[in-house]
Amino acid sequence: MESFFFRYRNLLVLLALLLAQIIGLAVQVRRTDSGRNVLDPPDGAGVRLIRFWADGLLTPPEQLVHGSKLGLLSLWQNYLDLRHTREQNLDLQKTIDRMRLEQASLLEDARQGERLQALNDFQQKYIYKTLAAQAIGSSGSDQSRVFYIDKGANYGLTPDMAVITADGIVGKVREVFPRSAQVLAINDQTSGAGVILETTRTRGILRGSAAGRPQIVGILADQRIQPGEKVLTAGGDQIFPRGLPVGVVEKVVPDPERDSFINVIVKPAAHIDRLDEVLVITSTEPRFPADQLQDMATSEQLKGADAAAIKEQRKASDIMAERLPGLSDPNAPAPAPNPASGAAPASGPPAQSGQTPLPPTPAPKLLPAMHPDRFTPGAADSSAQKNEIPPTANQEEKPAPNPASKPVTPKRNQ
Amino acid sequence: MAVLGASHSRDLGIRHYPLLVYVMTPLVALVLQAWLPRLLMGYVWFDLPLIVTIYFALVRRDPVQGTLMGMGLGLFEDALTHHPIGINGVAKTVAGFLAGSMGIRIDVENQTIRVILTFLLSILSSAIYIFVYRILLGLDLQWNWFSDLMKAVVNSLIAAALFPLLDRVQIRD
Repeated sequence: MESFFFRYRNLLVLLALLLAQIIGLAVQVRRTDSGRNVLDPPDGAGVRLIRFWADGLLTPPEQLVHGSKLGLLSLWQNYLDLRHTREQNLDLQKTIDRMRLEQASLLEDARQGERLQALNDFQQKYIYKTLAAQAIGSSGSDQSRVFYIDKGANYGLTPDMAVITADGIVGKVREVFPRSAQVLAINDQTSGAGVILETTRTRGILRGSAAGRPQIVGILADQRIQPGEKVLTAGGDQIFPRGLPVGVVEKVVPDPERDSFINVIVKPAAHIDRLDEVLVITSTEPRFPADQLQDMATSEQLKGADAAAIKEQRKASDIMAERLPGLSDPNAPAPAPNPASGAAPASGPPAQSGQTPLPPTPAPKLLPAMHPDRFTPGAADSSAQKNEIPPTANQEEKPAPNPASKPVTPKRNQ
Repeated sequence: MAVLGASHSRDLGIRHYPLLVYVMTPLVALVLQAWLPRLLMGYVWFDLPLIVTIYFALVRRDPVQGTLMGMGLGLFEDALTHHPIGINGVAKTVAGFLAGSMGIRIDVENQTIRVILTFLLSILSSAIYIFVYRILLGLDLQWNWFSDLMKAVVNSLIAAALFPLLDRVQIRD
């Protein structure tokens, strides 16, 4: 018996080790009700312990290598290669000024959007707090598109937090260790993110392919989906906030397994295979965060007047553009010639008398009121100057307002 | 215990290395395997732990040692992924065992044989990986044969450059 074990020692060791590993693999896979085998999502204590050891052994040397690379890069960029810095600063300052102007002009639209969302009982999640982290390593396998960042549980990271860059989404936190975290990239085969196409509003799930290309799978064939269309997060997966850029449609291919379905290959907005710094969204709120509100207030304070002036100019341009087609409107009455200037007035002053019909204007084409009052379009200014509600609609024009008289506020209907 | 004696090892041509080489080479291979893909735009067409496993199994001419080293490095690689732990372990366990068994029978000094063996074992390792993942565990996994073929080719090229370097650090009598 001893000679048997000694003779087949190598083979027995091999079989014993293979058997142990296969048993270990079997306990990590779970069978669903539909009969499919899936990975048990939360790793067991033993599996987690092995991952913890591996991470603890590899993270320090990876951080050392990555830190050395960053140090050399920083030395070059911050001390040696400072050409064109002044010009870049000036360009950036101009960009900030321009963006502040844009932000101030868009602020009112954003507030209106918030009010409308509140009316619709829709809670839009805004990014509230992010944490910058460095990508320090990968899985080292093309079958597992995960990478490691240098922030972990010590910084408050938890699983299922979204990871993004300034360009677009990158992935989600899968496993958290004390000083590092494992991030599952969006181009992995097991990843899934709810996305929506910007123009066609088609919704789908983004997954990775074997070659590491993100694709939207399992959507009905739609001729409207064209290359170049933007893809955004849909917000339904409880991980990525809505509206973050994902990428653009690269091409549309038929689903090899199902007829009348297509897969949309997406070119990711973020450089997933060459990441250095990422942002982990650690908190979202159903309103603008405090720093963004402060930033918007600053923009409004600094550039609000300019933005308002630009808006007024645009409004005037729009009014003018509306009126120009009226010149050729056959139904519009001919403007009364101005004997003084010889030209038709663009917009006649409002009638000072309630009895007198308003001078005809090309647009808007409103019929003259039979009994105009202070609510009649065009007569509001004259009514406001009176500071009093006229007792009757046909009352004659009052004299100039008396400063001593008490202004009367119109009463609402009870 | 006579088979483990110095004279027997010398007769078999078993090589010896400093302990630091035994420890640092696999560790450096694991660190580089995890770090280099970030510099190479995500192209992971190499498997440094497999190359190290094959080398030490060949030159030590010991299937058990090759099996243990393959299993250890494979499990370590699995722990860095989000896949079940043991898939790479099984693949590299078999590769290490075969490399150690071959080391007894072939001339491990011949560089061409070592490179060809690395190519074949790389293909075998990928095949076992796919087999375990898709057949044994029944999990969904899209497979790209071109990537695995390229991995075997690149592994062979790396082996051609790395093996002579590691040969130089062996302890000579």
